[in-house]
Amino acid sequence: MADLGRAALVVSFGLALYALVAGGLGAYAGRRRLATSARNALLACFGSTLVASAVLATALLRHDFSFVYVASHTNRTLPTAYALSAFWGGQEGSLLLWLLVLTGYGALAVVANRRLLRDVIPWVVPVLGGIATFFSFVLVAVASPFQTQTAPVDGAGLTPSLQNPYMMAHPPLLYLGYVGLSIPFAFAAGALLSGRTDERWIVATRRWTLAAWTFLGFGQLLGAHWAYTEVGWGGYYAWDPVENAALMPWLAATAFLHSVMIQERKGMLKVWNMVLVALAFELSVFGTFLTRSGVVNSIHSFAKSSIGGWFLAFVVISSLFSLALILRRLPLLKARTKLESALSREAAFLYNNLLLVALCLTVLWGVLFPIVTQLVKGESRTMGRPYYDFFLRAFGLPLLLLMGIGPLIAWRKTSVRSLVRTLAWPIAASAVAGAALVAVGAGSSSPGLIAYTFSAFVLGTIAVEVVKGTRATGSLALLIARNRRRYGGYIVHAAVVLLAIGIAGSSAYSTTREQKLLPGQTASVAGYHLTYLRTDEIQNDPNRTGQYAVLRVGGRWHGTLRTGQVTYTGFQETDEDVGIKTDWLRAQDLYVIANFQQSSQAVYFKILVKPLVNLIWVAGFVFVLGSLVALWPDAREQRRLAARFAPAHA
Amino acid sequence: MARSPRSPARLIVALAVAGVLAVFLVYTALAGNSTPQVEPTQLAAQHPGKISVVGSVVGPLRGDPHSAAGLRFGLHDIGKQGPVVQVVYRGDSPPPLFAVGRHVVVGGTYAGGQILGNSILTKCPSKYTASPTKSY
Repeated sequence: MADLGRAALVVSFGLALYALVAGGLGAYAGRRRLATSARNALLACFGSTLVASAVLATALLRHDFSFVYVASHTNRTLPTAYALSAFWGGQEGSLLLWLLVLTGYGALAVVANRRLLRDVIPWVVPVLGGIATFFSFVLVAVASPFQTQTAPVDGAGLTPSLQNPYMMAHPPLLYLGYVGLSIPFAFAAGALLSGRTDERWIVATRRWTLAAWTFLGFGQLLGAHWAYTEVGWGGYYAWDPVENAALMPWLAATAFLHSVMIQERKGMLKVWNMVLVALAFELSVFGTFLTRSGVVNSIHSFAKSSIGGWFLAFVVISSLFSLALILRRLPLLKARTKLESALSREAAFLYNNLLLVALCLTVLWGVLFPIVTQLVKGESRTMGRPYYDFFLRAFGLPLLLLMGIGPLIAWRKTSVRSLVRTLAWPIAASAVAGAALVAVGAGSSSPGLIAYTFSAFVLGTIAVEVVKGTRATGSLALLIARNRRRYGGYIVHAAVVLLAIGIAGSSAYSTTREQKLLPGQTASVAGYHLTYLRTDEIQNDPNRTGQYAVLRVGGRWHGTLRTGQVTYTGFQETDEDVGIKTDWLRAQDLYVIANFQQSSQAVYFKILVKPLVNLIWVAGFVFVLGSLVALWPDAREQRRLAARFAPAHA
Repeated sequence: MARSPRSPARLIVALAVAGVLAVFLVYTALAGNSTPQVEPTQLAAQHPGKISVVGSVVGPLRGDPHSAAGLRFGLHDIGKQGPVVQVVYRGDSPPPLFAVGRHVVVGGTYAGGQILGNSILTKCPSKYTASPTKSY
């Protein structure tokens, strides 16, 4: 069976290479039949990759340990769902998933847009073929999931902390996001190569970009929730290079999603959009390089592997290709209109973009800093949390404010007086919120207070827009249905506000205390009184050993809480089972971690009270809802676009 | 030929870039929160000050991080059997994943041939690493 998988991958490589070479020749020479055969090769490449994927999935489900990959990542006791999730649990399988998603997305995008972008698609095919050639080459020559061995009796299994429902969804969602960014990149490159740099490529790929961005954003939130509930350190984001690897392309894609609106509406920022879409794509591949090369130290234990060099070469080559292409086509990327005023919606979008890109590049600088200092000073230095927190505040808070101003400010130009009049209600709301927060003691953290006040302002602007629109149309449902993109965007903005409130609350206003307790003793933290009752040993469980501390909680909430440490059979790793009580009434979490002492009955308890942290997880669902509204097909929009672009390909 | 009036977009971009660079320079000059990150075998060349050391934990684990004597253990380079440097860690309980053989990042200072640690991060078991292999 492994032979079938290997053969299918070789076929994928051949087809991708054909799509690259024949597609390029066909598009360059205007040979329609050659271009069509290249397109068909790209579609067939998806088919052969599907066959290879089916072979690996079957081997995982059948516990076929003659596959080195299956033996390294599963064992016989692993539940079926986790055995299947091992598909992306290792390096080779995750690369195969990448190729599968890439060829699937590529085939679908090319077929769906063959009419709208008749003259661009022949150039899109070789670009997608080029990316697929790289991944299929790596899978064939460097990291094959189809290496075989004499089958051992059992496999090594999957690390216990990865045997978690979140870990079944988090990696594939990130891949759907990372790979999804290849589609707008390929279409942008196709538009540049073909010289058709009007807005059609943006219209054709808007939903692809939005979907990729949604997957990437939601995937990161799932990962954060896993870290919070499973890893047991009390946080959810550590500004680690591996986490930043997913954040950077998301920030670049966020900037892109906003700036394309200016190009669609005003014909401006054409060069900027090309740069952004290339940046988002390159950062997604660069993230893969970071996680696979071991070039930077991470709290995630990623192996150093030779695969990193291949990815670095690909990033360098594709970046140079993008840059050369943009420079070559600069004359075609001239703006149709000019920015008339620094106080206009266009300008607000531009500020938003600059802040997002600045934040993205700041994070990139932090990630690269150890490498740069190693090269320049011969000593690797890392940027800690204060660096990232500083820039998150420096760029994030103005960004939050702009999120409220941007949608309400007039196009072309406006005056300060007119702007203040438009924003009177939101300003009043934020002033009242700020005063109330100071009154209840939230002034202890200036960044927290500013974040809350700006959040109230943004929610005020959204409320004003929704109320005005509903009055005009007579119905909220009708209002959203008539402009899904705009109101989907507002819902996403509301999600970002929830995220900001959750991050500010859980970081600026949290309480942490560690206390040693003997049975019967009590610790008091932020109004909760925790009495350590006893320790229960895990008994009669062949799969795990360990112990749980049982605590009685009084004060703000009454009940019992269990927190413990568990070791799974066959693994040395100890997993923390955190005790979390969500107090919905006060919108905060009581979070307890136990550290047992071998030589005494005493237990060290780390007790955290984290206000509003759950808004971060709620934000994830609101974010997806907003994205779905914006993604939903809109017949009115389709008719408008058909009318707009009809002359272009008539 | 008369020059066309310049778009304020360029000015905005230039000012924004300059502003960002200014903030960045001020921050790195004044705050400069970077810390040298080294492996145990590179410690000898270290100057006084904050450091973070990446290594693999060597037993035995002795003592209590909450006591004056601290929690004592060794560290050596990950993936190598090089020299072991001693760590005295004082502070909150180390993370639950902390154990002999675990890859960790210890923050603190280096003096008198030992690391005086005040923070420990344990590396999270994650993808792309081989799980511990059973003997067959």
